[in-house]
Amino acid sequence: MKELSALSLQQKTIKALGVNTKDAKISLSYLSVAFATLLIGGILGLVQGLQRAGLLELPPWLNYYQVLTAHGILLLLVFSTTFTIGYQYANLSHSLGGLLPKVRKLAWSGFSLMIIGVILVVTMIVLNEASVLYTFYPPLAAHPIFYVGLVFVVLGILACCFGVFINYRHWRKTHPGQTTPLLAFFAMGVFVLWFFASIGVTIEVLTLIPWSMGIVETTNVMVDRTLFWWFGHTLVNIWYLVATSAWYVIVPKIIGGRHFNEKLIRLVVILLVILNIPGGFHHQIIDPAISESIKFLHVFMSLSIAVPSLMTAFAMFAVFERAGRKKGGKGLLGWITKLPWGDVRFLAPMIAMISFIPGGAGGIVNTSNQMNQVIHNTMWVVGHFHVTVGMSVVMTFFGICYWLIPYLTKRKLTPQMNRLGVIQTIIWTVGMILMAGSQHLVGLLGDPRRTSFTTYGDHPRALSWIPYEYVMGIGASLLLLGVIIQVYAVINMMFFAPKGETTFPVAEPEDNALPAPMWTERWGLWSVLLLMVVAMAYVVPIVDMIVNAPPGSPPIKTW
Amino acid sequence: MKQFIYGLLLFVFLTLPPVATLLESIMIIHMHLQMPLLIFSGFLMARFFKVRFPAFFYKWNRNGIPGILLFSIILVYWMIPRTMDEALTVYASEIFKFISLPFLAGIPLRDSWRKLGSVSKNIVFLIFIILFILMGWLFIGVDDQICNNYLRVDQITLGWGYVTLAACMIIYIVQLIFGDQSEFE
Repeated sequence: MKELSALSLQQKTIKALGVNTKDAKISLSYLSVAFATLLIGGILGLVQGLQRAGLLELPPWLNYYQVLTAHGILLLLVFSTTFTIGYQYANLSHSLGGLLPKVRKLAWSGFSLMIIGVILVVTMIVLNEASVLYTFYPPLAAHPIFYVGLVFVVLGILACCFGVFINYRHWRKTHPGQTTPLLAFFAMGVFVLWFFASIGVTIEVLTLIPWSMGIVETTNVMVDRTLFWWFGHTLVNIWYLVATSAWYVIVPKIIGGRHFNEKLIRLVVILLVILNIPGGFHHQIIDPAISESIKFLHVFMSLSIAVPSLMTAFAMFAVFERAGRKKGGKGLLGWITKLPWGDVRFLAPMIAMISFIPGGAGGIVNTSNQMNQVIHNTMWVVGHFHVTVGMSVVMTFFGICYWLIPYLTKRKLTPQMNRLGVIQTIIWTVGMILMAGSQHLVGLLGDPRRTSFTTYGDHPRALSWIPYEYVMGIGASLLLLGVIIQVYAVINMMFFAPKGETTFPVAEPEDNALPAPMWTERWGLWSVLLLMVVAMAYVVPIVDMIVNAPPGSPPIKTW
Repeated sequence: MKQFIYGLLLFVFLTLPPVATLLESIMIIHMHLQMPLLIFSGFLMARFFKVRFPAFFYKWNRNGIPGILLFSIILVYWMIPRTMDEALTVYASEIFKFISLPFLAGIPLRDSWRKLGSVSKNIVFLIFIILFILMGWLFIGVDDQICNNYLRVDQITLGWGYVTLAACMIIYIVQLIFGDQSEFE
């Protein structure tokens, strides 16, 4: 009872004072970079899609792989990272009653480091010195400055991680006996995972800098690939965890319901944090130098993520059904009609959640050893991550914008902007279904990924892919239209929407809900368990790769 | 009772010949997955024995020290490379492994851990951290093949497994020492 009253007092204070303007500035700066990047990355996406379908010939100063690298790095790394930090810091500021001054400084330092890093990285890509694709692992070698830029980006992320840890510790010390608010708990999960994910890529990039400078002659390609996917796959799940924070805590409030059992939500976060990193191995299923038995054991480690994902699916649909029935939904499926489909803040994340069903099923195909052999180097994989990232994650991010940005700028979401948001969501959904759907299908027919347009000397098989590639081009055009509308909506809500009050929609627990158990806050223990799982997963293959290493690869520039 | 059934199911699963063969085919999986899982199965089954024979545990393991000693002896025994080799070649030794780890290590560990004070717990951690580092050093550093059934690269892998486990235990202890544990109760 005491806890509840303390919580409501805090909520009242936040409501009375509104958003902390200093904290809002941090979030808005990150979000501005995110959406500027989305626009550039989106344009590059269309250019790439049209080139891939043979509908557009690039000028001699620009090549397909350059565009592919820029599109991947800008959207997968920069857009997702800056949006996540902006959103998570807003969550932290709201739920912990404001950021500490030193945490603000860390967030700004992180921002500056990331901007410097991104400028270095993008400059090298534009100069055609780093067409190494967004995965940037060897033997393809970029200019050393490209890797130095990546170091700056990682340092920026680490600064933001420490900011969250410091704010969390401070709150725990000043609120003994209380569990942290759910959104802050999610933020801890996200940044703990980010901290440990960064270790792998940091080691990789630090070995690549002397290699690309010619100080070291060769590098161990297998170890570098493994360290990249340690980071790369975890990053995917960081986005997913960010999206689930909105699904569990924000969406129930928007539909007028309550959030699911807090113990289960916290357990999902803990499981996602502990089990995540070894999932990277399913990206390497067709790599040589990893034995079959290790790959087999890793199928279990990758699939363990399906457990918290299925728990989420169950919990979310239970929340929807309860909310729909409370509003008078009758019969087996009557509650579905009672959900606020016309509200973009619900519609976008709802479609995102639904798309996670095919996305997750496709993920199981990718994780399974035998099925992966069929699809590994094909457009199927491109389709898969456009469904998971482009729909499940990005549509949730878009849905978040429609309340977060007006809240931060002390403006209102107008009915017109809501309608535009609904239209944008529909365009985006149709675009993604066309593009990712045809990518999945043409992948099954053997169309390779990461390949510029070619008819392979008019080979009949290659010609049979072209209709699907046209559909991809149509999808990509719709998606660019979606990007333009979204960026317009963001600018409108940042600068032009009418002034007013927008609440931060945080769902309450059910009336008879039990308090969350304190043991869930043992982040020290969760980190040790995470490290143990990493040790179990990585010791065997990495020792094998080093002890039985081939001579190593010199830097290779294919362009 | 539920825990006993889960423990028993895990135990039966681990004894299935294909499962045992797969887990024993890689040295580190044999020592750092199969053996801890056997202990864990006993840990789960312990509940039944504690309820069924409370007088036995009260009489023989009142302060937890005998139990943790038995656990340590069994663990140290299975850390000797030769015993692992024998488990693969001598049938009686394999049977002893499947009996000793759950019933003579898992059950005493469950019964003892709550009875031990924080000092005793820290001593146990310290001993095993030192032991794991030494074993890691041995397996990584030695030039000869220690086990007949496994290659030298398997040995080095196991060595690094020990070192990383020791590192995890050190981090765990450090966060126990510097964190305020009462806040989680």
